Amino acid sequence: MRLELHKVKINKLAWGDTTSVRAGVLTVNKEELLSVLAGDERLAKVDVDIALPGESVRILPVKDVVEPRFKMEGPGGVFPGMVSDVESVGEGKTLVLSGAAVVTTGKIVRFQEGIIDMTGPGADYTPYSGTCNVVIILENVEGIDKHDYETACRMAGLKAAAYLAEKCLGTPADEVETYETPCLKDAMAAHPGLPKVAYLYMLQSQGLLHDTYLYGVDVKKILPTFLNPTEVMDGAIVSGNCVSACDKNNTYSHQNNPVIHHMFRRHGKDFNFLGCIVTNENVTLADKKRCSSYSIKLAKTLGVDGLLISEEGFGNPDADLIMNCWKAERSGIKTTLLTDEYAGQDGASQSLADSCPEGDACVTAGNANEVIVLPPMKKVIGVPEEANVIAGGWQGSLAADGTITVELQAILGATSELGFTKLGAYTI
Amino acid sequence: MSCRRLLVTNNPLLRNAVPSCDFIDGNPLAVLLRSRDYVHLGWILLSHPLYGNLRPHQHPYRSILLERPDGEPRPALDLQSLEYVENALGVYSAEKERILSDKGMPEGVRDDFAVIDAELMKESLSRYGLWPRESLKTDLLKGGEG
Repeated sequence: MRLELHKVKINKLAWGDTTSVRAGVLTVNKEELLSVLAGDERLAKVDVDIALPGESVRILPVKDVVEPRFKMEGPGGVFPGMVSDVESVGEGKTLVLSGAAVVTTGKIVRFQEGIIDMTGPGADYTPYSGTCNVVIILENVEGIDKHDYETACRMAGLKAAAYLAEKCLGTPADEVETYETPCLKDAMAAHPGLPKVAYLYMLQSQGLLHDTYLYGVDVKKILPTFLNPTEVMDGAIVSGNCVSACDKNNTYSHQNNPVIHHMFRRHGKDFNFLGCIVTNENVTLADKKRCSSYSIKLAKTLGVDGLLISEEGFGNPDADLIMNCWKAERSGIKTTLLTDEYAGQDGASQSLADSCPEGDACVTAGNANEVIVLPPMKKVIGVPEEANVIAGGWQGSLAADGTITVELQAILGATSELGFTKLGAYTI
Repeated sequence: MSCRRLLVTNNPLLRNAVPSCDFIDGNPLAVLLRSRDYVHLGWILLSHPLYGNLRPHQHPYRSILLERPDGEPRPALDLQSLEYVENALGVYSAEKERILSDKGMPEGVRDDFAVIDAELMKESLSRYGLWPRESLKTDLLKGGEG
């Protein structure tokens, strides 16, 4: 499979008569965008705003972030099973409005949405302070179920992202990235001498509001399966999560999953990257056992020497992470785990809820309980009072002057377990 | 109890919706302690005892699904269930002074917590034949002891 990402760089947003790109400026026809989002009976009101890097703007509560993409060529369409047909994706050419993002905001499950600050100390912790954000503000019809509201918000974000990129088809790309994966027969024979590795991609799937979708299928209902990494770039995986903001793998971070990008970069040099095994994080112990065993069976069938395993969320999903780890290790497959920590505000508590002796190679994306003070912003898109109920905040988090004191848990993507974060470490 | 499957919960929303329910008028730690009692009586955990994505001091409700295996009069102790519930007790006990209570909580926030806890259990309850006797409405919370 060969996929070209045609990246058009966006460094500014503006309202205008047509939705198009010129010299790095994405002009958005607000009325047309709103008309694309109109007609959803679950939504009482839809509005759109803009937030640019460096502006004194706070967005909360944030539900999801999506990168605008649209297929130029190739089978299928972006976000298959959601806004496009269910045809397989990951081949051909895809237009990417790189640097732009659609941010959805709405009070679905109030304690599990996030904050984006476009400037100040909070901006240092979220990757979405660096994107030019088209913010969709979604208010539900009184009395509808939360999952219906979540569906409406999810679909609005995806539709807006697809619309923006579709309108810019024909714009010459500033950069073209090419990703190519051979069929398994050829992949197995390639790079003799290098270890074969796969990526075990854990997806949140604990309940109707803690869900992820693969080709439109609720991931809690799948058995682990093999996925070509380029499929992820076309939006095969979509977030439907109302979980803690810091380690929610939102749709943008799936589209730009740095694990996949870095494994491609090292493919053929340090190891032979065979592809992804996607699995879920369900609530029942039977599911945890079944899917961890099935994932490792797939890894063994592929004959991999190593697995990189990334988690989503914490607490209950730590049990899935650990089962995946020891089952792989005891099958002779080396593992590296990618997670984050909830070690308390002083960093002294146990970081993960579960552990095993085999988990001796672990990468952390940071301590989500670290406290940060976010100074007031000139403009707030959304509802600032939500800071008092958001996970990572508490009653009194929001001061009268607009200052918010919270744990990093409340900041979108602050400790992303895909590594899509601004925190990091370097070997010196 | 003579039933084979049981939900131990302090979530008032589930109290009235699930036919086989041991309702605990207490905090999540009390739910875990009661669940551990059942494990010592030979019951096995069907759901993981830890909450997903919230720390103990960040949510007021906990619901745990258990099953009593065949093997009268008393089945053997399931060591994996015991390990999971003891580990969860360790996590909750470490924060027991801070565990969130629903008392005095704004109604909208309390409803969100109750609905999410119920949503997280719904699939498991359904799979094991315990869901739903009636549809989930937060009005049940307002009825209190219903």
